[in-house]
This record gives sequence, structure tokens and C-alpha cells, in this order.
Amino acid sequence: MEIKTEQFTEAVKRELQNARSRAFLKLMPPVLHMKRDISLATFPDIPAAQAYGATIREEAMERLPELLEEFEKNALANGARVFWARDAEEANAYITNLAKERGVKYVTKGKSMVTEEMGLNEVLSKNGVEVWETDLGEFIAQQLHRPPFHIVGPAINVPVEEVCDLFMKKANMKEPTLDPVKLGYAARLFLRDKFHHVQMGITGINIAVAETGTIINVENEGNIRFTKASPPTQVSVMSLEKVVPTMYDALHLIRLLCRNCTGQKLSAYVSMDSRPKKKDEIDGPEELFIVIVDNGRTKIYQDLKARDVLRCIRCAACLNICPVYRQIGGYAYGWAYSGPMGQVLNPVLLGLDRTQDLYRASTLCGACKSVCPVGIDHPSLFLYYRAKDVLGDPYFKGKRRPWMEEHIFKGWNWAVNRSWRWNLGIRMVRPYINKNAAGGVIRKLTRSFDGWFRSRDLPPMAEKTFHERWSEIKEGKG
Amino acid sequence: MEQSAREEILRKLKAAPKKGIRSRPVLPPLRELSQTKEELIEKFTKNLVEETGVVHRVPDNQAALDKLTEIIQAEGMKKVMVSTDDVVAPLDLPAWGKRNNVQVMTPKDFPDRNSFRDAVFNEAEAGITGADFAVAESGTLALIHNKDQARLVSLAPILHMAIVPLERMVPVYERVTEKVFAKKDQLPSQFIFITGPSMTGDIQGALFKGMHGPRRLIVILVG
Repeated sequence: MEIKTEQFTEAVKRELQNARSRAFLKLMPPVLHMKRDISLATFPDIPAAQAYGATIREEAMERLPELLEEFEKNALANGARVFWARDAEEANAYITNLAKERGVKYVTKGKSMVTEEMGLNEVLSKNGVEVWETDLGEFIAQQLHRPPFHIVGPAINVPVEEVCDLFMKKANMKEPTLDPVKLGYAARLFLRDKFHHVQMGITGINIAVAETGTIINVENEGNIRFTKASPPTQVSVMSLEKVVPTMYDALHLIRLLCRNCTGQKLSAYVSMDSRPKKKDEIDGPEELFIVIVDNGRTKIYQDLKARDVLRCIRCAACLNICPVYRQIGGYAYGWAYSGPMGQVLNPVLLGLDRTQDLYRASTLCGACKSVCPVGIDHPSLFLYYRAKDVLGDPYFKGKRRPWMEEHIFKGWNWAVNRSWRWNLGIRMVRPYINKNAAGGVIRKLTRSFDGWFRSRDLPPMAEKTFHERWSEIKEGKG
Repeated sequence: MEQSAREEILRKLKAAPKKGIRSRPVLPPLRELSQTKEELIEKFTKNLVEETGVVHRVPDNQAALDKLTEIIQAEGMKKVMVSTDDVVAPLDLPAWGKRNNVQVMTPKDFPDRNSFRDAVFNEAEAGITGADFAVAESGTLALIHNKDQARLVSLAPILHMAIVPLERMVPVYERVTEKVFAKKDQLPSQFIFITGPSMTGDIQGALFKGMHGPRRLIVILVG
């Protein structure tokens, strides 16, 4: 997937003009948020349930290497094969090779964020293996070559007219229709044929359970179930932070995930795989491959503060409540991960230098933090990234500020530290600044401050400072 | 390469600084744990109906068969795929099919994956299974996949009917997984929770059932 995090401002401007997306954003997030509240009320104590989720993920991160080893040991004992990949390239090459060795013409895929991050689809296609995304939203996004608009509903903003055109061209739909149900049914028929004959399926993993070596997928459509039931080869990919200690922990996280995500008590399907099919079973995978991907996580893990990002379970509650996401939607974030969770994750995966706007496009209102079921403190991470960036932190590739900005603030710091410098300065710049006043306001200054004046005006500076007037009054001149 | 990547990743993780593990906070038990059997049945039904599942309750196996007949006749179905699990096997559905002019297939009628896939994708108008557990907290069925519970029976046909003896009703998921995952050497290849039919809201948020799997789920509670 192409990384466009550096085009944030342009994308925002474009998206703010997109009436469709805007209308949609007014509607969907509040509805999801309301459903979330209703479903969370099934917990006897909601804050306690959320806090418990936070400690599960906190403990999982603290014990990460040990849990991964335990998970691997159990998965291997159950008959799964486990492959570790340092980066996207290694993981993609391994999976591509599995497909080629088996001579498969195409694979079906369940929605998986880590494979989007890895750009797996592009690599498989380049190597002659067709890839069919089978989650309806992901299927539409893939065919339209669009990034996900929302991490749970990737194409939920695409107008029905556009979906109709697409399905007429690419999904064998016979007659045009604008009915979402008929459109969905057309996709069902088209993808059903893929499921029927598929020889290799690829899925992500929501949770990996260390004590049993089990992998868990949570979904509503059934496409992941098909992808794991129909073909003889199953490949499931996880970024290495997905592991939790016990099945009890997994169940509590699933309760939190579904409620925080779609406001359901449980998604339609939760499937838990512990081993390949047994000899006497007629469906399910003969071979089960689990790919554990690092791709930058061990680097994040070294930093105790940034490490908290790895707790994320991708529920999207933070997107639905974010006042910024609710205006701009998911495209502007420029990569697989959008909204506040993308704003904390993308900068440490891609580098602070390539994600300058992401950790700054925030009001620091803390809405994201208030809904997070695993206790991520997004606003404090934004401030942490800003500080690292300004100081030019080499580890996460901070950029420093531009030379001019850095020196202006150094000068400012010097000037405001002593009252005589300030007072002298005021007297010197006043005539120059007020020269620009027109109609009682200053609308522009010099070229280098254009950005500041784009959305702000300044009142002209008073002819006398407060101190000057005060002394005059005291001396009886006022 | 495989080994070295593993070693490198684990080495980096182990070398990282530690924070220390906090003890887990108190988590009040779910309300279902203190409810009566009848309350659980009611809760199961309400939860599943919310997800557009249909729930019938019948007193015994004979009444369950009658209910099946009624549904199949109302739908005008001629061909069904049936699991051979310990709930439906004793019902002898092949004999029931002969009496009611319905062709009953089981996964065991097929020699291999491909022929089974052809039948379950293209021919079966409904899939009929038992369930290992029913969970009240969310109106959920739990199925252990094995030689008598093929995965595609409850997934590929457009209608899924499940028969559940009431003694299999439990309040919460933990009561299920404690049994299913108790013995490490006997873990099922796959274990699933089903809560309603297949669904999506991916086109403009319009909810739609039967995206890939069944459009309808009918549960017959027996007892």
C-alpha cells in the first residue's frame, strides 16, 4: 500500500469538500457510538471492564517475548508451522513462495490490517498470484484502489452509484441497481465461486493465545470462516504484539472488542483455530501456517512510552469519537491505520519525519483516550512525538523544526526573558507592525508569516503599553 | 533465515527495558452467572432474536423433527446437508428425509474435499447441525469442528438450522472454553461461536444479512 502520510494537508482539503463523505461522517460515528454505549452497559461495571482490558494488554506487552515463545511452542506441538519475519519483505517473500510451491492461481483473503501494512497483495499479484479480498468493504476498496476510509468499514463512504459501476465491470453483475442489499448479493455470488474452488486462504489474526497456541478471528461476514474452512492451505498473519496469556484474557478482550467496535455483544462469527484439520475431517486446512511479523515493532518496544501503542486491539472506538476524524474521514491519514490509533502508530512505524502532520492534527481533547478499552493515552503520545520531533530525535527520526522557525523561537526566548529586552523590542517593532494595519486589523505581515495569517487576524499594537499608561496615570498626566 | 529472524526478534524483545507487572484489578462477575436456567433461556433467545436469529423451543426430539418438517415444507426445500454430530445423529435425519421427500446429505457421503465442496456450495439449500453449547450472555452457539461437524455445513448454505438440547445452555463463554480447551492434546482443530446470520454494513452502513454465509439462522431448543 502506497504511503501518503506526507500529503495530509492536501488530502484534508480535498476531503473537506467531499459532500458524500461529510454527510456520512455526520451519521455513522454517532450511531456507532450510541450502540457502543448500549452494549457496554451489559458489563456490571463498565470502567472496571475497560480497566481490566488495559491490564491484560499491559501485562501481555510486559511479558511479550515469553508469551511469544509459549505461543509458538504450543502452536508447533499442535501441528501448525510458525514463521518469523523481521520485516514486510521477508513475510511477503515467504507467503508468496508458499503460494508458488503449491501452484495456486489465486488466494482469498480475510480483512487483515497487517497484510495491508506489508503490501502483501501487491507482491502476490506481481508474482502472478491473484488476490481476492473477500470482506465486502475491503473488496470494494481493493477494486477501486483506495485506502481504507475506516479501519472497520473500509469502503463504507463509497456511494452506491460507484459500487454499482464497479460491480457491473468487475463482479459479473448483470443488471445495474442502487440497492445496497442487491449489490451485496452480487458480491456474494461473485466471491462464492472464489471460496468454492480456493486452494489457499490468507487471514489476519485478532488474538493469539499463548497457553493453547490458538489463533482467533472476529468477523461478521463469514468470509474469514470460508477462507479458513474451504482451502487445504491456511496462512494466518499476525504482527507480533497480538498475543495474550490465557483464553480467559482472550474472551474478555473479545467482549471489549465487539462492544467498542460495532456495539455488538459478539460479532456474528468468532473462530478459534488450534491446529490443522485432523485426517478424518473433510474440510479445514491440511496445513496451517502462522506468520509472526515484526516490521518495526521490536524497535517501538524498546521505548517504554511508545510501547503502549502496541496494546491496540483495532476496535476503532477512537475513530468514531474523534472530532478530527469525524470531519476528515480516513483517507487523509494516508496509510492502513487511520484516526487516533493511526496517529499514534504510523509515526513510530514510519518515522516522525514522514508523519509530521499526524501527531499535530489533534485538539488534544482526549476523547480517544476516554473510550480506549486498553488504556492507550493518545494525547500524551502526541505530545511525546512532538517533543521528540522538535529535538530531532534520531531513534524515531525526528526532523527538528526548520532553521528559520528554530531561530525565531530562540530569539523569542531570549527577548521575553528580561523585561527591558521586551520593552525595548516592543518600541522597536511597533511602527513596523502597525504599518500593515487596515480598517483596525492586521491581515498580513511579511511573506514568511503568511501561514499564520491564513486563518487569523491580529489587532494592531496599542500606541502605549500598559506599563507606560500606568506610570502616566500615577504621575497625574492620564 | 527462519531461525535467525526468530532469534533476532526474541533477543531484541528480551533486551528491552521492563516496567513491572501490575496486579489485575477486580472484575465484577457478569450478571448471567447468578441467573436461573429459565432466565438464561430467555436471555439467549432475546439476544439471538436481536441479531435476527429465530428461536423455537420444543419439548422433545420428536417435536424437534416436527418443527424441522414444518420449516422445510414452508420453505419448499428439497436438499439439505446435515452434520453427523451427537445431537443430530440420534435424530436419524436420513430416515426423516425419506418420509418427508427431502434429500438428506451428510459430509460422510463424499469421498473428498472437492466433491463435498461442490455439494455444500451448489446443492444444499440448508445446513442442519447440532451445537455443543449455547451461551446466554450474547445468544451464541458454540460448535466444535471435527469429523462429525464439518465447517462448511453451518456456513455455505443460505439457511442454517441448529438443534440444541437445553442442558447445553451455559451463562458465559468461560463455561464453554474451560471444557473445550481443557486438555492441550485434545484441542479441536477449529472451534467457533455463531451469533446470528452472516452480515455486513459495508455499503453505506446499510445492514444486510447473508453476505457470505447464511442469511437466516434458526435455532430449535429442545427440552
